[in-house]
Amino acid sequence: MMLYSVNRSLERKTKLHQILHHPYFGFFALGFLLLFVQFLRITGVNIPITVLRGLGLTMIYIIIALGFSILLGYAGLASLGTAGFVGIGTYLIGYLTNAKGYSISMILVIGFLGAIAIGTIVGFISLRIEGLYLGIITLGLSEILNEVFKNATAITNGTNGLLMNRIVLFGQYYQFNSNTIFIAIVFILILVMVLTLNIMKSPTGRAMLAMRNSESAAQAMGVSVLKYRLLAFIIATVYAFLGGILYMTYIGFSIPTTWNLAFSLFVLAAVIVGGSQSIAGVVLGTFMIFGLDLAVFQQITFFQENPDITFILNGVLIVVVVMFYPGGLARLLINLKFKITNLVKKLMKKWKAYKYGEDD
Amino acid sequence: MAKMIDSIFKLYLTIKIDRIETKIAFLKEYQPILIDTLKEKNDKKLQKVALKHKHQLLPYAIQAGHIDDYALEAKALEIKKVEDQFYWHHRALKQALKRNNNQTAYDSKFALLTSKKNDAIQAIEASYAVSSDLTTAQKAYHLVVEKQKIEYAKVKAKLEEQYVTFSTNKKRLLDEKVSYLNKKLEIALAKFNHYQSGINSLDEMIDQDTILKLDRLSMHFGGLKAVDELSFSVKKGEIFGLIGPNGAGKTTVFNCITRFYKATSGQIFYRNRLNEPLNLNQFVVHNVIKEGIVRTFQNVELIWELPILENLLVAGHTLYRTGFFGQLFNIRRIRREEMIMRQKALKILSDLDLLAYQYAYPIGLPYGILKKIELARTLMVNPQLIILDEPAAGLNDAETDNLALTIKKIRDEYQATIFLVEHDMGLVMEICDTVCAISFGKKLAIGTPKEIQSSQIVREAYLGGE
Repeated sequence: MMLYSVNRSLERKTKLHQILHHPYFGFFALGFLLLFVQFLRITGVNIPITVLRGLGLTMIYIIIALGFSILLGYAGLASLGTAGFVGIGTYLIGYLTNAKGYSISMILVIGFLGAIAIGTIVGFISLRIEGLYLGIITLGLSEILNEVFKNATAITNGTNGLLMNRIVLFGQYYQFNSNTIFIAIVFILILVMVLTLNIMKSPTGRAMLAMRNSESAAQAMGVSVLKYRLLAFIIATVYAFLGGILYMTYIGFSIPTTWNLAFSLFVLAAVIVGGSQSIAGVVLGTFMIFGLDLAVFQQITFFQENPDITFILNGVLIVVVVMFYPGGLARLLINLKFKITNLVKKLMKKWKAYKYGEDD
Repeated sequence: MAKMIDSIFKLYLTIKIDRIETKIAFLKEYQPILIDTLKEKNDKKLQKVALKHKHQLLPYAIQAGHIDDYALEAKALEIKKVEDQFYWHHRALKQALKRNNNQTAYDSKFALLTSKKNDAIQAIEASYAVSSDLTTAQKAYHLVVEKQKIEYAKVKAKLEEQYVTFSTNKKRLLDEKVSYLNKKLEIALAKFNHYQSGINSLDEMIDQDTILKLDRLSMHFGGLKAVDELSFSVKKGEIFGLIGPNGAGKTTVFNCITRFYKATSGQIFYRNRLNEPLNLNQFVVHNVIKEGIVRTFQNVELIWELPILENLLVAGHTLYRTGFFGQLFNIRRIRREEMIMRQKALKILSDLDLLAYQYAYPIGLPYGILKKIELARTLMVNPQLIILDEPAAGLNDAETDNLALTIKKIRDEYQATIFLVEHDMGLVMEICDTVCAISFGKKLAIGTPKEIQSSQIVREAYLGGE
């Protein structure tokens, strides 16, 4: 029996080469980098707490944005309800811990089940409505949820915001320690990125892409539109809930004004700016939209005095990227890589001509 | 009530048979790949050992006077390396001289460079010289050769033993599993036949050698009767052509068969792989492919964001047995399935001469190639009935001739029935066994291409009556 290029892995030369070219390498590298920052802080290097906090929040937003990228980049469904779902996640853990004293594993299970239920409902809505109209419907849903957060004071503590300063683990109360939670978030982020890549490269991801490109072709190939739309919404909602739960554990405070339209739009912008079909792009886009402001600009006095300038910068960034790089920053990076290699080649040629003279 | 229970049992049995069949196919396709992979690995290991030995032996061989081609080559390579190195030094010096324009200072530098180069070359030549004490050198050489022979034989025996045990084990396991599964399959099939003979009333509706039968099919869009009480049947293994002027309702017929449209009235009967008669009106659009009916589209409908190979894998979507969580955690089974599907896709691509395009994206490829890729895509699911919607539209003459050959090849090699709509009469008359002509949703004539060509009604429909 003839084999068609199955054994390409055998041609790879060294173990190091194999590791460097492994698809998960980037995720672990990013994780180790973040852990290293945290490690520096623990050992006593003077890193401001706001920087770490910004990085932690960015990681949580990356998880949310990854779910959204599957929804937008793969299934081709635009949703503006992200903020509402994240909000539910925060209030879920806040209420269940404060009032009922549930352990965090229990809350995670409840969160997953709730996310599946909500994702299914929104998925069924998406069967009838597409494109912008779906965005408007989900926006309405998110606004309803926001009003619920404001008015259901028994659970959410209304506009004053819900405070949570301890979590339950194995039946015991623990005070917050943002260092340990940061490390936990890094590991969860790595896991989520690995799982997301698996989905993207699996038959499921291909089926979703097929659906996005040509619905009739996908149906003729045996892809059930109902199943995959529901699945995409469920994945996005589960990620949003997970993000909400992590947010509450890390920040310990949730207020309805955070979960407004602007947050949903920022997530959308992060995914569009980064490139909706690549994990690296989503990470980069989220860092651009959220991380730069949270971790970098807030250290600079100019931006501290004029906090609204970051919004203008974000706006300019979105306009520039959407106009000139519809593929997002991921595409920009690939182009840049090609350009840099070409430039290096050219410079080497010039240097050679200078040192050795022109070709004989 | 009893009938209902019977039909539920039948459904269960079809699912079971399907599962067992895919398992057997999986095992049969996977084991040879596994064994071949090990063989290739072993060959590479042996080559590596041989190369290592050659390198080890080289200095002994030279000293003992056995200067073979390999040694000469190695020597030439080393000398060339040195010459190259000094060539660039030389050029750099020349360039520097050009800039400084100081001939006397550079003369000594050039002389030094040449002397250095000569020394280096002489050193290499000395290292490749025959030893003065030839007998001891030859003894040492033979000693090393003997040693290496033993080592090589050892490695080879070990690898061969490993391969033999591995392959025999795998083959034994395969035989055991396949015979076990075959027994299960036989039992399931016997039960299935028992139930089928008991309850199936559809059996009278469609003949044994017929694969598809339309019975008074109608499709109305408001007041427009796109298809009007159309009935014909397609025999197994033939190429069936459906022709008609523009707007005759040919594509609507296709869409009714593949359940994109729900027919206003009338029945569509179909015999699947198990020779079981089915009423296609009871199927959902994405389940039609599971019974072996695949279609292409009039305008090429490929997935533009995926390379050609993955486009084919999308077509194999229904063949994957691993569930969502298996895919999420990338378990071994999905990796194996992926490997087999890739092999299958590559085989189809090489059959249709498309192997060169496997990593290319569809955007920018010629239209003829895209049409061919769509054809290749239908073959992924072991189709029973391939429905082609205007396969030759937009192709030039050479591409159309190529397409005719490809379609015939597919019919013969993949044992599929082909049902096509086409405007290119040359192609239809050349390849079709039976042709059906329709106009305004009504059947005009059906028969061999010659009969259709000589039919007066068809001529009138195309060219108009007097």
